[in-house]
Amino acid sequence: MTGMIFDVKELGVHDGPGLRTTVFLKGCPLRCMWCHNPEGLTMSKQLSVRENACTHCGACRKPCTHADCRPFGRCLHICPQGLIKVVGEEVTARELADRLLRNKMFWGEKGGVTFSGGEPLLQAEFVHEVLDLLGDVHCAIETSGYADPDTFLSLVKRMSLVYMDLKLADDGLHRKYTGVSNAPILKNLEQLLASGIPCVIRTPLIPGITDTPSNLAAIKELAGGLVQELLPNNAMAGAKYELLGLKFPLSSASSPDTK
Amino acid sequence: MNTQLYQTIVIEKSHRTLRRELPEIAQEYSVAGLTPIERMTRRFEWLCKEQEPMFLGDEKICFLRTTKNIPDVFTKEEWEEIRSKHYIHESGYPSNLTVDYGKILKNGLLALKDESDTYGCRSIDAILGLVERYRQAALAESRTVLAEGHAALADGRSALAHVLEQVPAYGARSFREALQCVRIINFALWLEGDYHNTLGRVDQYLYPFLKQDMEAGILTKEDALELVEEFFLSLNRDSDLYPGVQQGDNGQSLMLGGKTKDGSCGFNLLSELCLKASQELKLIDPKINIRVDKDTPDEIYTMCSELTKVGLGFPQYSNDDVVLPGLIEMGYAPEDAVEYTVAACWEFIIPGVGRDVANIAALSVPKVIDTCLHRDLPGCQCLEDFYKAVADEIRTGLDAICDNIKDLWFVPAPFLNLLMDTPKYQNFGIHNVGLSTAADSLTAIMEHVFDTKDVTAERLIAGVDSDFAKDPELLHMLRFETPKLGTNSDKADENLVWLLDTIADALEGKKNCLGGCYRAGTGSAMYYLWSAEEIGASPDGRRKGEPFAANYSISLFTRTDGPFSVLRSMTKPSLSRTINGGPLTLEFHDTIFKTPEAVAQVGQYVKQFVLMGGHQLQLNAVNADTLKQAQAHPEHYPQLIVRIWGWSAYFVELDRAYQDHVIARQEYSL
Repeated sequence: MTGMIFDVKELGVHDGPGLRTTVFLKGCPLRCMWCHNPEGLTMSKQLSVRENACTHCGACRKPCTHADCRPFGRCLHICPQGLIKVVGEEVTARELADRLLRNKMFWGEKGGVTFSGGEPLLQAEFVHEVLDLLGDVHCAIETSGYADPDTFLSLVKRMSLVYMDLKLADDGLHRKYTGVSNAPILKNLEQLLASGIPCVIRTPLIPGITDTPSNLAAIKELAGGLVQELLPNNAMAGAKYELLGLKFPLSSASSPDTK
Repeated sequence: MNTQLYQTIVIEKSHRTLRRELPEIAQEYSVAGLTPIERMTRRFEWLCKEQEPMFLGDEKICFLRTTKNIPDVFTKEEWEEIRSKHYIHESGYPSNLTVDYGKILKNGLLALKDESDTYGCRSIDAILGLVERYRQAALAESRTVLAEGHAALADGRSALAHVLEQVPAYGARSFREALQCVRIINFALWLEGDYHNTLGRVDQYLYPFLKQDMEAGILTKEDALELVEEFFLSLNRDSDLYPGVQQGDNGQSLMLGGKTKDGSCGFNLLSELCLKASQELKLIDPKINIRVDKDTPDEIYTMCSELTKVGLGFPQYSNDDVVLPGLIEMGYAPEDAVEYTVAACWEFIIPGVGRDVANIAALSVPKVIDTCLHRDLPGCQCLEDFYKAVADEIRTGLDAICDNIKDLWFVPAPFLNLLMDTPKYQNFGIHNVGLSTAADSLTAIMEHVFDTKDVTAERLIAGVDSDFAKDPELLHMLRFETPKLGTNSDKADENLVWLLDTIADALEGKKNCLGGCYRAGTGSAMYYLWSAEEIGASPDGRRKGEPFAANYSISLFTRTDGPFSVLRSMTKPSLSRTINGGPLTLEFHDTIFKTPEAVAQVGQYVKQFVLMGGHQLQLNAVNADTLKQAQAHPEHYPQLIVRIWGWSAYFVELDRAYQDHVIARQEYSL
């Protein structure tokens, strides 16, 4: 089967132990206002244009005959500066596995592959198939934990390490800032705790939203002694939105009300 | 760290105000009809006399240049005549050599008098005369400051006097004496007019002194680190006076670690202290190199990555597993090869016995492709025809370079000669510039003109000649949609392998005018800017005016799959055949080094480079945004350091073209 990815990153140093290759799967059920991977939100291909470097030569606006340009109404194969790209690539499990395995020599005993996103669980079946093909490789997953319990457990069970996000303990705030309830996430957290699979609980520190003492205390409680990582806010997070023609929900104009 | 001394030398730079300008002497020497060696000896004697003994703060290692310029020994007319009769390398003065520091440390300068001619003896007397004046000045200052009630400083000065009584006249007895001795010898080489005076394997020739002092309880590890730091600081005092293409290009490199003669690992406590000192001082000198091999323990890679994190572009790695067999294959005796170090940048040289001219000339490989594109491609029936044309042109180009180097002549250097052994190796190194541009251009021709046939030779040539002005689609295809080095393409990689093999084949067996051989290299030196200006656009989609990548690196605009793919591409050739040196250079975004785990991972990446058969690696921690800020507000970034092609420099002191190139390099981020 095929999956939709938006990047394969070599030497992902913050995605697990050893030297790793990180696959970013496209599509996510959450809409976190601070998301720094907006190209991972939808499952469809998107046009990414670095408008700020554009000289408006007009080349990409002229009609062309390339089939792959048609959905976007712009020519993808002509920008002299290479400012136009399509984000999103449909690959078969075999293709992806082969691409990853080419760099197997780097992984050693400790390193391996990390599945990130987007939300890898949204393409769980595809990830299963890639895992089948990778064989005996240290695999990790970075997930929001938002999936039905069976999908979640059957996939994380196959991982050597799970990074799971816990962003907001309060369901109301979770709905407000991520667009979904945290109930499925908390249920999966329980499963994870019970499973004994090595895992790390991650919380992005978003000023005024997730970094409040009450939220952090509640998350600590929920994490039940698991290893926790607090991720510093990525001040550059907004930059990628512009490329996709999207608005960064957390731009300074829309600074959060904390109460 | 001696913060007061650091403040004086690095921040205030007040010692630079002590320097006097010297008058020209060439006319006088010329009128007197002096021989070249007499001129050099006489100038050295004069320069030694012109130096004023000066001490900075409570320094433990002294010697400071107090004259600005080194007046030439020949007039302009005389140089013209010399150049008409001889091949003159660069300025004509010896450079890029490593003297036998170990020998001086053992026996001292006076012991060399027996075996040296009158010029050598006069040079020894000249420098020892200056040392004696330093000694007396130290004693005098000691008395003065004692009278003023500064007992500690008085002790310091009298200790200095005590050290100068011993070195460099006689062999060193302690680690401190050894460091002072090396400082004076290095100082004297620069004063003689030799340049790119490298330091060699400091952790090998200095370690016995450190070990002995520590075992005797004279030094603690902390004392030793402080001395190493003072020694490093001493190398930054006069370095702004040293000539180079840009400020910072002064060749003060040193080598750590590596195999020893008995095959064991040479990394020792002093190697560790040198890494530490560089990490703490954050200075552009000395330039730190380290030799590694398949047995190098992980801790050493981690230690080195800690230094990389600081952002100086240190250390540069050389892989013994590739370099040693390469040198031996080229005719270096195993016992000499094992002592290798680097010249100013990355060219492998042997201390003492090596008189190689490691950077004698450069071949622009993209220019070869450009010639063949225009002259041969339209007539080529198949890809093999084109390869043959390129191979012939490479051979023709290298033959022309080699044939041009006849009657090589250097200005005599009697002091340097004292410290070198009888020359065993006089090989010439040839840089091969723009390798990635050339390999990617070959791939583009292979792919489009011969394999898919979607571009005719005429269209490609027209595109290149017009800088793709009327064919943006071709530009896009060549630049962004054609396989390149670093994009997981066997086709592209094989072209690099073929190019390096062809270059090595073309130089194999050739003898130079001194009886040595030619060594092919993967370095570019400054030619990555210069040679790029000689041609217009290239078939890889590089536009007119865009520079090549520095040294052995992938092209600046390649959409690489990442650092793994880059290593896979660049380690495919048999690099032991192109062993003049020239590193793969990678720039990592400085945020990669955030956690200790990430630092160790970078170390693992380097280890993998070594295991995969890379020859030389240069890793930089950079942040293009910071560099752009520094361009806009240089006054806020006086200490910001970047690595250029084989040396590190203060960013704000560089010409814009060199600054822009660093900013344009591939930057690997999180």
